Formats: sequence, C-alpha cells, structure tokens
Amino acid sequence: MPQSVIARNPSVLVFLAILGLFTLSVTLMSEWAGSEIVSTSFVKTLGKTLCLALVAVAMDLVWGYAGILSLGHFAFFGLGGYMIGMWLMYERTHRIVASSLAEAPIPPTESEIAGAIGNQIFGVVGSSEFPAIWAFADSLALQLLLVVLVPGLFAFVFGWLAFRSRVTGVYLSILTQAMTLALALYLFQNDSGLRGNNGLSGLQNLPGLDHVPQSSISIWFFWASAGALALGYVFSAWIVSGKFGSVIRGIRDNESRVRFLGYPVEAYKLFVFTVTAMIAGIAGALYYPQAGIINPAEIAPIASIYLAVWVAIGGRGRLYGAVIGAAFVSLVSSWFTGGQAPDVNLGFYTIKWVDWWLVLLGLSFVAVTLLAPKGIGGLVDLWTGRMAPDRHGADLGPDSGSLREAEAEQ
Amino acid sequence: MKSLLEVSGVSVSFDGFKAINNLSFAIGDAELRAIIGPNGAGKTTFMDIVTGKTRPDEGRVLWGEANISLLGLSEARIAREGIGRKFQKPTVFEDQTVLENLLMALRNARGPLQVLFYRPTPEDLDRVHELAGEIGLLDALDRKSGELSHGQKQWLEIGMLLAQEPRLLLVDEPAAGMTPAEREHTTTLLVEAAKSRAVVVIEHDMDFVRRLGCKVTVLHDGAVQAEGSLDHVTANRKVIDVYLGR
Repeated sequence: MPQSVIARNPSVLVFLAILGLFTLSVTLMSEWAGSEIVSTSFVKTLGKTLCLALVAVAMDLVWGYAGILSLGHFAFFGLGGYMIGMWLMYERTHRIVASSLAEAPIPPTESEIAGAIGNQIFGVVGSSEFPAIWAFADSLALQLLLVVLVPGLFAFVFGWLAFRSRVTGVYLSILTQAMTLALALYLFQNDSGLRGNNGLSGLQNLPGLDHVPQSSISIWFFWASAGALALGYVFSAWIVSGKFGSVIRGIRDNESRVRFLGYPVEAYKLFVFTVTAMIAGIAGALYYPQAGIINPAEIAPIASIYLAVWVAIGGRGRLYGAVIGAAFVSLVSSWFTGGQAPDVNLGFYTIKWVDWWLVLLGLSFVAVTLLAPKGIGGLVDLWTGRMAPDRHGADLGPDSGSLREAEAEQ
Repeated sequence: MKSLLEVSGVSVSFDGFKAINNLSFAIGDAELRAIIGPNGAGKTTFMDIVTGKTRPDEGRVLWGEANISLLGLSEARIAREGIGRKFQKPTVFEDQTVLENLLMALRNARGPLQVLFYRPTPEDLDRVHELAGEIGLLDALDRKSGELSHGQKQWLEIGMLLAQEPRLLLVDEPAAGMTPAEREHTTTLLVEAAKSRAVVVIEHDMDFVRRLGCKVTVLHDGAVQAEGSLDHVTANRKVIDVYLGR
C-alpha cells in the first residue's frame, strides 16, 4: 500500500491541476489583469462558486462517505459568513464614525465612538447597544477564529446529542432540518443581535481598503477561494483515503457491524460532522464578502437541501463529484434565473426559465437518483474503466488448457 | 476450571414473550462449544445479550478474570473487551477490498484520532497476509469483497474476527449456504481458532456439529435443555422430543 495520499488518489493531482489552470486563466482574463473578457461581477460569481464547491466537498464527506444526510450544513456555512461579516461591518463603521467624529471641535471619547458605531449598525433594528455576541467584533483574529469555532461548537453539541441517542437515517435528516429552521427563525428576530432580517451588509468593502478597486478585491477573494478549495479538497482526500475512510464508509454501509468491530461509531460520526461544519464555516466566510450581504434567508432550510441536490447530481462518495455538482448546478442555476436563458415559446404557453428552473432542477434530481445514482462524476468511471480494465490478474482470452482450433493458435 | 464468560439467571422478554428464560451458561478459555436448538429457542438473542445489543431484564453476564459485568457496556466497548461476533448473514464491507476489510478489523487503537493518523506497519501487513492465507483469500486481497462468493465472504468475516484477536468468538451459523468442501474448510478454521480462544458456534446442521467434535448445549424455550457430548444430548429423551424428533 503506497504511503502518500496523492499516490493513492491520482484524482487529487488531476483536480489540483484543473483548479490551478482554471484560476490562472480566470485571473488572466479578469479586469484586474486589464482584460475585458471576464467582468468583475463574473469573477465574484466564480469565486462564490468555488466556495459552494468547498461546502459541497464537506457535504460529500458527511453524506457521501459517512452516510449522514445532514440538511443543516448550509447553516454552518451561514454562521461562518456571519462571523466574518461582524468584523467587516464593525471595523468599517468604526473607521467611518471615527473619521467623522474627529472633525468635531471636542475630541470624542471611547464610549461616544462605541455608541455612534452601535447607532450606525443597530439603528435599523431600533437599538444602539452592542449585544454580547459582538464582544470580539473589533478583532479580526478572534473573529476569524470564531469562523471555525462557532460552527464547530454548534455541530459538536448538536451532533453529540443526536448521535448519542442513536438517531439515524431520515430522522436525523429531519432533526438537522429542524435545527436549521430554528436557527434561521431566531436570526430573523430583530433582537437576535445580528440585525434581524436586514442581515449584515456592505461586506464587499474591506475596511481600510477603500482606495482598492473591486476588480482587485474580487480577484483576491477568487484566489483565496481557490486556495481554500484546494486545501479543503486535499484535507478531505487525506481523511477518506486511509483507515479512517474505511471506517466511515463502513459506518455508512453497516453501522452495527462497525460497532461490533469495536469502533465507537458515535465518536466517528461526531468527528466528521464537526470537522465538516468547520469546513463549511470557512467556505461561508469566503463566500459572503464576495456576495456583499448575508441575511437569515441564506440559512433557510432550502439552501441545505440544494446542497444535498448538488452533491447527488455531481455524484456522492467521490470528492470531485461534489465539486462538479456544486459548480455545474449553481452556474446553470444563475444562468437560468438570471434571465439569460431564452424563453421557450410553445405557442399556447411560454416557458419562462425564471419560473420553471426549479421544476427542471427537481426533475433532474429525480432523474439522477433513479437513472444515474453515480451522478455526473460517474461519467469519469466510463473513461477510467476504458483506460485500465480491472481484470484482477485474469488472462485475456480462454485458458491455455482449453480446446481451441489449431488454426487460431497461429 | 475458571470460566471466561459466565451468564447466570438471565431473562429477557419482548412484549411479554420470554425469549430467554433464566438462562445460565459458562464457557472457559480455549474451549469450542456448539449451541443447537429449534427456531425461536433464543440462540441469537443469547448472542445479542452477550454482545450488548439487547439488555436483559434480569441476570448477570460476567467476563474475564476480573469478572467485569458486560451489562451496561456499549457494543463497541464489549468488542474491545475481546468478544467477536459473526452474524448469520455474511456481513463484510462489500464496497471495500479484502485488504481494507482485514485492516479495519486488525487489533489496533480504535479511537477516531488514532485511526486518522494510522498507517499500516509492516507487521500489520504481514499479519493480514497470514490471515488471508488461512482463509484462502491471499489472491483476492485487492478485490472488492462484494465480488467474492458467498463462502468466501463467510471466510473473510471469520478472518476479520480472527484479526480482532478476540478471547471469545461467537459464530452464528457459519456453514449456512456452503458447499461440502467449504464446510470442511470452515470446520478446520473454527477448530484451529478454538485452540487459543473460546469459540461458541450456533448451528442447525447436526453433521457440521458432529464434525466440530465438541461439547454441545441444547437451548429450548430460552433455557438450557441439555449439555454434554453430541451423543449424550441426542440420547436425551427431552431433546429428541423438542428438537430431533420433529
């Protein structure tokens, strides 16, 4: 058995090469490089797509490999976004407030500045007090830490309760769905401390970098997203390649058998659930500054269901499948819903894709589940299967001892 | 002889039906034992209780020199204590290779973090090859276990049990659905395994039990009906009535 992850998974190298090539070509075609081919807004779309691909990899790890159909990973994604959004919003408001108050005849006190920032941020929900959860909002380092810790802790507590009670299968999915809904409803409240349904906005403007054009910022985030996806992919490949991967796939296929082998199944599930929640948090923290705004609607249960659909369409149980699914479906989705897809005139009825896209997505989900359970990623098998048929050491043709016509021997 | 596993006065009922009724049973180190009995006699429930899958309503299950009570321990914990179980249906991880199956079963640290950083040592691989040789799957190490024949899967599962190095092996109908030659091999494997550990075999097939040549316990209605050599129990009038007579 070769020791390195790459040697055991040649697909990792292929994936990294494609991702690198993609990043390079988008960079060269962007406005940042002085080209007109890829607009800044499209660079943002692509960067966001990479973040979605990362959260899809996490989903594949937890669903495709460990068999836990979590319908709550987009909540962790959103939490990651909120954590970075708090710093972005606080710091930017702080700079604006500080500079405007500095022109006043009497220099402002610390508490005056804090009050003014609070007024700016929370005025929209009729408050000016900083809620306790904003305690670390002035520190980028701490907020970055929270990007991983908050989703991780959330997943840990939830998973500990759920797995310990041996909730599995569809019941667990419903439970994760309920958790997501509860979180979204809580965040919708004005007194949740995160500006209710207004959410956090203006996240595309990095504090102190007002002079930097969006074309540069967008490409930085694009690179960061590509880097995070690459790291997340290699990390996930490492997790699933060794014995740990064997054990979690075993849990997916026959949980009680793994238990009778002496493995603490609950601990494994909890580990995978928590780690993937952290990855989702990181993906979210990169996504929302590119989107510019985060609000509780992003966390709504439907988002997590989309995530499952992407992974299913891309092909679960293989990491590149998740990436393909997320990238393909989300890009096609923005094409259809962005009004770019031509309407189909049937004479008696005109199909407007903005309305019909969801129906199409639903149908393709059903079709993939029924007709091609391996998803788009399964197409790769056709190719690798053709390249190197796995013959398990058997000879080609009949046995040497079998009866054959003499002419055929020559 | 000091017993390795001691089950005493255990009862369990499902919705009022007494599956196990005041059952007592003991097995020593390095002993081979067959359990026979008609359908519904409580054979599988007995295994469920020992391996922690089912909690009995009353009774004691004591294990090892220190007489630890197995009641209340999790299945995984009991497995780590040294009790291995083979199910009636061959349950191997079909999506994974024979090598991966055996490596997973190999006696090593079981915690998530230790497993995450685990890389097979040369000794581990040697052990896997040795086991694969014993179960006749040396050529099939890189094959997906789902491709194996029914008999090979049974052996793979026995191999996985041996890899766990349990002190007690519970085997549920190992010879079901096997050809005569495969049965022969299975008998050899089990007799060999029982030289260094306790093995309990649940079996329906009298010929197979006879070939094992060991002490037999007859279960009926969740209690022990008779115990002794196969000839002794088959001569027992009650046993003939409840089981063999039919």
